[in-house]
Amino acid sequence: MTPYPHAREDRLSAKTGRGELIVSDLNKSFTINGQPRRILDNINLTVRPGEFVSIVGASGCGKSTLLRLIVGLDTEYSGELRLDGERIATTSLDRGIVFQDHRLFPWMTLEQNIELALLNTDTPRARRAQIVADHIALVNLKGFEKAYPHQLSGGMAQRAAIARALVTEPRLLLLDEPLGALDALTRVHVQSELQRIWMAQRSTMVMVTHDVEEALYLGDRVIVMSPNPGRIRRIVEVDLPHPRDRRSPLLHRLKDEILAELTSGADADGDAGNLVHLPSREAR
Amino acid sequence: MNSLLARFPVRLLIGLAAPALLIGWWQWQASAHIVSFAPPAAVGSALVEMLRSGDLLRDTLSTLARAFTGLAIGAPLGVALGIAMGIWKPVDRVLGPLLHALRQVPMIGWLPLMGLWFGVGEGTELIVVSMSAFFPSMLNSHAGVAEVERRYLEVGSILRFGTVQRIRFILLPAAMPLVLTGITQALAFAWIATIGTELLTGAGSGLGVAMGQAQMQQRLDVMLVVIGATAALGFVINHLFRRLRRSALRWQPSLP
Amino acid sequence: MASRAADFPVAGGAGAGFRFRLPPVGAVVPLVALLMAWQIACLTGLFPPQVLVPPSGVARALVDMTQSGELQRHVGDSLFRLTVGFAIGAVAGMAFGAVIALSRLAEAALSPLFMTLWQVPVIAFVPMMVMFLGIDEPFKLAVVAIAAFFPMALATFDGIRGVPRNWFEVAKVYRLRLPQLIRRILLPATVPAVLTGLRVSLTRAWVVLVAAELLAADSGIGQMMEMGRQLFQIDVVLAGVMVSGLIGFLLDRGARWVESRATRWRAA
Repeated sequence: MTPYPHAREDRLSAKTGRGELIVSDLNKSFTINGQPRRILDNINLTVRPGEFVSIVGASGCGKSTLLRLIVGLDTEYSGELRLDGERIATTSLDRGIVFQDHRLFPWMTLEQNIELALLNTDTPRARRAQIVADHIALVNLKGFEKAYPHQLSGGMAQRAAIARALVTEPRLLLLDEPLGALDALTRVHVQSELQRIWMAQRSTMVMVTHDVEEALYLGDRVIVMSPNPGRIRRIVEVDLPHPRDRRSPLLHRLKDEILAELTSGADADGDAGNLVHLPSREAR
Repeated sequence: MNSLLARFPVRLLIGLAAPALLIGWWQWQASAHIVSFAPPAAVGSALVEMLRSGDLLRDTLSTLARAFTGLAIGAPLGVALGIAMGIWKPVDRVLGPLLHALRQVPMIGWLPLMGLWFGVGEGTELIVVSMSAFFPSMLNSHAGVAEVERRYLEVGSILRFGTVQRIRFILLPAAMPLVLTGITQALAFAWIATIGTELLTGAGSGLGVAMGQAQMQQRLDVMLVVIGATAALGFVINHLFRRLRRSALRWQPSLP
Repeated sequence: MASRAADFPVAGGAGAGFRFRLPPVGAVVPLVALLMAWQIACLTGLFPPQVLVPPSGVARALVDMTQSGELQRHVGDSLFRLTVGFAIGAVAGMAFGAVIALSRLAEAALSPLFMTLWQVPVIAFVPMMVMFLGIDEPFKLAVVAIAAFFPMALATFDGIRGVPRNWFEVAKVYRLRLPQLIRRILLPATVPAVLTGLRVSLTRAWVVLVAAELLAADSGIGQMMEMGRQLFQIDVVLAGVMVSGLIGFLLDRGARWVESRATRWRAA
């Protein structure tokens, strides 16, 4: 029912890797006001080929930093980051990313934006238009090829960004809160879309999100991180076949568990910064 | 009251009141005493006379030619240099301080120096007009490239863009709105500088020259025709450029 | 807590935004190099002194003119005209802008004429004003005033019209009276636009004043340059270029400084 992008198997057999990500002993520090501050502390994680892994955690737990390291935008880290055995030292067309803001170039149409991603691939020119059309169809945006980003709704723009990230057929797709800026209804819709796309593509995906429900709905595993410094607190296996039903009792039970874990963590760390303190009446 | 003001004929009538008062006062002044105060009707006949003799056309054309030649020299140089300075920091570091120092001098203030160097004439005028077009183009283009959002450059990095691709697909299109703003400003500056230099050097033909002559001959009617022509042309050119800019930037959600 | 500070860079480092920042050494080096190259080119006789005098020559001219009091007289006259003319034009512009912004009737009556006149470059008014006012002081004050009037009126108009409607609703909710409304909301909300208008019109007034002085004056920086040209005193002309550039620079910087001080509450 959904058009599968062209001959995926060819590519898999042609390339050596299948999208296995290994993170070992990863540490990352920033210098803030002259002081080094640890953002990621000893992260160890293996993502299996074709797996969907979700990462949840409070603000400041370094989950976005982790994705920036994996995609290669930030290359200063200690420890190991390997995709199919190859150490990550810079960006690569094997690793795609979707950001929270769609980052489509506003001066290009949807079609041009997606085709631009093929610029530095060895895809023959003659086939590019077809591949672009396939991917536009994959994210259900047929008919909007000539639209400029500002003419698309938030959800449509985000799906277009997903198409751009997928068009190079990356072995690993990173999703940095891709649905964070969408309203609740659109969000649910694009989540289902994302699940369908992943099932069609079966590339390895790592998604960072604030939303525990979303993490559980999509992820084969959910990594729970804690902040200051960013650590992996727990890894939750979600043993449910895709496509999933949101109302599944297992998902709800796991959600309650993870939420309990995240909120108790905040108290334990004494991080009350999220609370608003109302001045007491007497003080006035 | 406000609903009444919303009606176009009412607005038009009220809007015409002030100019009408002005003209009435002027007519009264002219008929009362002052010699150099030509009555409003004289402006009409001066216009007809200048149109018939071809003076107005000739002056307009030479002013337009000067302004656009200056624009054609100054704006491309400014855009090229501004973009180069935005992309390559060393260019900025070497040329930036010099250009910013030169920019502080009021443009027409260059006229005496250029007059000494190149003589009072066409060349000097063109240099000053070109410089007036150069600086706004340079500054805006520089800002346009320098302020390209990092997040777009990151996309370029993820898509493995080389330097040329980065310039062609990200930096230039992202800078385009400001580049075009710069050129529009350059046009306005070149237009003003042309009138100013013509007025000051008084050589050859041009609307500024005509103004200077009208002043010496105490011809208010001629003066007003020339001022009117200056204003109308400035308005039309500016309007055309805005439309060009708009059509070049179709991709923008809303235009200022 | 440290993480909060990193996430939300609040106004850290008191006064960072509103202090004169000295140009970094990197910016000075090319300028010094240029001055040296200029000096050397003149010393080697590449340019004859009738064409280009070395920086030292310009410096000498500046010193001579300062000792004779000539420079002070020119600069003083120019700045006097700028101050008085600008004050008249800016106040009139602000008042006019406020009136057409606050009254729809005034807007309908006056803005068409205003917008038409706005199309005319100020410099095009110069010959007409010479006709009526002669070339004495009133003429120069009037030129500066007109140059300042238009941008000032427009900025004030935009500033007042740009105050978000919601803010008036907030005022209504808290039942502010009209004087309070003006003092607490209208004025502070309009200040940034007005100050930007002040800066723009100040620099514009300076440019127009120099042009007017070039055309017709018995003193002032513009006249100093024009006399230098007529007498083939290239050192005087270059000194005039530098002084007028420096004044323009200081005016712009000073206005920016005032602007950033008065609008500290605004996000950068």
